[in-house]
Amino acid sequence: MSETFDWNETPAPAAAIAVEGLTFSYPQAKAPVLRDLNWKVPRGAFAILVGGTGSGKSTLLSLLKPQIAPAGTREGSLVVGGVDVDRLDDAQSARNIGHVFQNPDNQIVCESVWHEMAFCLENLGTPQDEMRRLIAETSYFFGIDDWFRQSTDSLSGGRKQLLALASTLVAQPSLLLLDEPTSQLDPVAERNFLHALFRINRELGCTVVVATHAPRAMVDYATCAFELVDGQVREISDMEAMCMREPLVDADKTVSPRVRGEDVPCAFTFEDAWFRYDRESPWVLRNLDLRVAKAHIHALVGGNGCGKSTLLALAAGSSRLQRGKLRAEGERRVLLPQDPRALFAAETAFDELMEWSGQLGYGEEETHRLLEKLGLTAQGSVHPYDLSGGQQQLLAIGKLLLAKPDVLLLDEPTKGLDAQARSKVAHVLLNLRAQGKTVLMASHDLDFVQQVADTVSMMFDGEIASTEPVTTFFANNVYYRP
Amino acid sequence: MKQRPFYVFETSHPVVPACYVIVTLCLTMAAMQPVLIAISLIGAFAANCCVRGPRSTLAGLRWQLPIIAIIALFNPLFSASGSTVLFYLGARAVYLESLMYGLAMGGLFVASALWFMAGSRMLTFDKVMALFGNVAPVVALMISSTMRMIPRFVRRGHQILAVQGAQGVPTAGAVDAVKSRLRLSSVLMGWGMEDSLEMADAMRARGWGSAPRRTTYTRYRFRARDVYALTVLLLAAVLCCALAMVACSQFLFYPVLSRLVVWWGYVPYAAWMLFPAAMHAVRSRRFA
Repeated sequence: MSETFDWNETPAPAAAIAVEGLTFSYPQAKAPVLRDLNWKVPRGAFAILVGGTGSGKSTLLSLLKPQIAPAGTREGSLVVGGVDVDRLDDAQSARNIGHVFQNPDNQIVCESVWHEMAFCLENLGTPQDEMRRLIAETSYFFGIDDWFRQSTDSLSGGRKQLLALASTLVAQPSLLLLDEPTSQLDPVAERNFLHALFRINRELGCTVVVATHAPRAMVDYATCAFELVDGQVREISDMEAMCMREPLVDADKTVSPRVRGEDVPCAFTFEDAWFRYDRESPWVLRNLDLRVAKAHIHALVGGNGCGKSTLLALAAGSSRLQRGKLRAEGERRVLLPQDPRALFAAETAFDELMEWSGQLGYGEEETHRLLEKLGLTAQGSVHPYDLSGGQQQLLAIGKLLLAKPDVLLLDEPTKGLDAQARSKVAHVLLNLRAQGKTVLMASHDLDFVQQVADTVSMMFDGEIASTEPVTTFFANNVYYRP
Repeated sequence: MKQRPFYVFETSHPVVPACYVIVTLCLTMAAMQPVLIAISLIGAFAANCCVRGPRSTLAGLRWQLPIIAIIALFNPLFSASGSTVLFYLGARAVYLESLMYGLAMGGLFVASALWFMAGSRMLTFDKVMALFGNVAPVVALMISSTMRMIPRFVRRGHQILAVQGAQGVPTAGAVDAVKSRLRLSSVLMGWGMEDSLEMADAMRARGWGSAPRRTTYTRYRFRARDVYALTVLLLAAVLCCALAMVACSQFLFYPVLSRLVVWWGYVPYAAWMLFPAAMHAVRSRRFA
């Protein structure tokens, strides 16, 4: 269980990170992101750094590595392992400080796993024999030896992130900084990743700092926790409190139809559905039956690659089933893709919402009202890509709402969102249900599912393993619970 | 797609398959003589049957045969030489020689394409990297990175189109189809650019460009076996080149097609071209 480090007792040079009087502001920003920030992380600690989206967690971590530090004005001193970071050259920084990013796809550089593992050491000009030894060792440590020869694209998200971690660790850094490393992973992959981190921390003595807005899964591993609020870091003494689940919506709103039985009208049904992408590949959906009741929020849960996204895309009508039937009335169905950027094409958030105004006949006034409802009025003229992850998600949902759909199909609607944004999404969905709209969502966020959904289906191996009302579902589950 | 094993030059130093593939491609593309083209085409076809299986190789004929036909039919339209008039197309004479030349060109084109496909399996990506890696590590890395980016780009394109198609929003007519493609490319560009910024950070974080010279992980040792194989291969290559030169110098398309005769020189050439398929057959039986 966790224990709190008292860093007043440890002598100053022993700190893995010592930040003093740090102030940082982005160019053209009115106020600094970080103000007179003081922060000490003891050597060998497993530290969690929490804070909402946009609080400056990523900025703080990247400032510790000048090679990836954002442009802006900086004051104060940043000392890592007793050395000022400005005095570290590129090679020393790569050796001493590892940095793992949020998106597993974008931090993998090479085409094959072995080359990715070698990338850092090749950059550093490590002699071949030493390089091969380090890579062999690290691969055994992470159990990568089984998939060492595979191409990086064929890996699951969890393995990709594990590879990103391993390929950083071959250089044997003494400090490892991770920026939302598990926000793209399913619950099982997240556990695996955290376990690897835990072993690195305890067995190799590497100091680990994880920035996250969902610390619940990590509290058991952590030795200390910090919160970044208003540009300053403060230590969290009561780490148990981070395990608490906060309600997303007021209790009275969660009262749901929760009606069962055959007499509930269906928005759409799959009957004996079979689907695969081409003749050579295996079935993604097999013998699948699913009834989605009207005016319900129906959640699909299950591991990565079990066919959830495919099922949603099929329900949206993007492809045809090979066998079986999709029965749906002539209702308007819209799909929120896993990455909202697949939906964006315009230069500003406002134009984005206006993209379909011609076909669907809504006006600027309606769009302004929606922006206000989503709390994005200030961001109307911002490029969609410059919005935070949560704002992007809300904008995408808003765009779909303007199409006045009867059925919403949502793929991971809360992926990478902080508590505030999640609660906003929850409100939007409950409102839709109140208006008689149907929602089918695939989600790894079991906490969100439990609080928002009416019915839950567990998918496994291309089939629906079970469909139950949400309370029964979570009451009976042994492993799969928030 | 499932990859079948291809038991040719599997354990050799990459220089050996590289030598074979380069010589074969040069011979195929330079030897403009019907029999040599036919031999090369058969060899390439056989090699592809081993690599991809007969079914998908035959399926490839769906685009290959039309290409041969198109080149064969277009050549007479552009080069009006020869002596045997087949028919007149308006005021233009279509000659047998010209048609044959086009046919040979088409065959050559398809044979080269097939050899490229088979060659990519003999000289796998890893082996190319090993060849490059020691000489030009940065080029090797760029190739590796590009190999990852292209399929990703294509996949993402499909994904965006699928998302566009999945919205129950009415679209109207052909203008919209063009518009949606334009939209796709702009989304892809923006998204790709965004990703590349992140990737650049990930590269810098792991010491990209920090050492004056990159080292490489891959280690292929050039062993005695490889010296032996390379020597035999080079000798055979010299023989085949000489034979091809003789055969080509004795054959003319214009003004009259030369007569083809039975000649011993075709046998070593055929042996060279059929080598991968034969080797594969022998090695596969060993595992059977």
